[in-house]
Amino acid sequence: MTITAHGDALALAGAIDETAALPGLLARAAGGRLALDLAGITFINSLGVRDWIRMQAAAQQAGIAVELQRVSEPIVHQLNMIVATRGAARVTSFFAPYACDRCGREESLLIDAIAHREGLIRLDPPAMQCPECAAQMAFNDFPERYFSFLSG
Amino acid sequence: MGSTSILIVHPDRKTQRTVQRILGTTGYRVDIADDLDQGTRLLAHLSPVLVVVDGAMAGRALMALFDAAKGRGTTACMTLLGMQAAAQIPALLDLGAVTNLLVHPMPVLGEELTITTQKLIRGDLFGVEKYLLWGTDLHETVLVRSSQRAELVGELAERVRARGQSARVASMAMLVADELISNAVHNAPVDAAGAHYRKDLPRDRELPLDERHRVRLRWGCDARYLAIEVTDWFGSLDQNAILAALARSDVRQAGSGAGMGLALTYRSCDQLVFNLAPGKRSEIVALIDVRYPPSERSAVSSYNVFVERAAVS
Repeated sequence: MTITAHGDALALAGAIDETAALPGLLARAAGGRLALDLAGITFINSLGVRDWIRMQAAAQQAGIAVELQRVSEPIVHQLNMIVATRGAARVTSFFAPYACDRCGREESLLIDAIAHREGLIRLDPPAMQCPECAAQMAFNDFPERYFSFLSG
Repeated sequence: MGSTSILIVHPDRKTQRTVQRILGTTGYRVDIADDLDQGTRLLAHLSPVLVVVDGAMAGRALMALFDAAKGRGTTACMTLLGMQAAAQIPALLDLGAVTNLLVHPMPVLGEELTITTQKLIRGDLFGVEKYLLWGTDLHETVLVRSSQRAELVGELAERVRARGQSARVASMAMLVADELISNAVHNAPVDAAGAHYRKDLPRDRELPLDERHRVRLRWGCDARYLAIEVTDWFGSLDQNAILAALARSDVRQAGSGAGMGLALTYRSCDQLVFNLAPGKRSEIVALIDVRYPPSERSAVSSYNVFVERAAVS
């Protein structure tokens, strides 16, 4: 996993596994806040999940607010599967699968969790436009399954 | 007992007929019961090689049927579960007796049922080829050092993407391959006393994998399934440990610990198959269905635990 500064956030990329040492990221929190950009995370294994939960627990203990930005699909799946991975983190945006009925393109598209909060609570994901043929794309998973991590 | 019959216990007549037609292709006589009590009564006179049960009937009566079947020499009990009955899975896993669970749409998937049945009847368990179409190209790598895991997992994802599969499928393949290889490298090795001597070693420590410790990865994709097979030559995985690990997939609060890797793997594929030759080798096959988008796929997965017949007590 690589870590680079990206605006006011730390951008993590690659795999979260036994080498990730996530709790160490808390030392880079500023003003009681740690923002993580997760767009570049391609997968997380069971040891990465364990490390992730430890980081969340340590953040809560230290009073550090964790903000998750541009959360990639593999991380969303873990947040949905294992409730403990959510901790007290706030998700501001995340990627979600969309598919175009017209041209068949499948794309992982970014959803602003704050701007679309009301719709997401109603399990009504925002409409998206296909980057290839400009037709409207449909959300490509079960909303009740994919958005369950937003319910806390 | 030299049995040549199969017993189906299912309340739905249409499903009975579908399953009967599929299982009839084996050449075995197929007996049918409408409910568990009738099935248990029939078992007083039958010694089927295989019992196929509707998983929606989970409970004490199902356990009684499994016990009766075992008493008649039946070694395999396959359970069918409609996608709508997924909530039954924890109860089925808790029984500790369901070795083969096929989660299916309606009608029942003929291919899954046929492959599972043929493996049980013939006792020919090993090989990912059984789940892929004829002619599918299989990639094989034998790991000779533990650090190859990360390289292989990354390479697998690239190759899967190069074949036109989605990033989601590639990500699932990475997770499955990583967990299965890690399990084979660190959890499988046992000494003469049965102690898992590598299980607590740091996963990032380099370990040479000699002839005894070698791990084999094979994978292929036939446009229906992306199939990933990982084999170790210790054969230390046992049925009870597997069922306990799969049951953990429902413990949504727990995030780590022994068995979590298998639980995550189970949740990340569509069918997880364990082929076990105790003391000789363990082969795990994960099948990821690449035909359907997530919105058309089942939220729950099938599993099969096959134990080499000579080793069944």
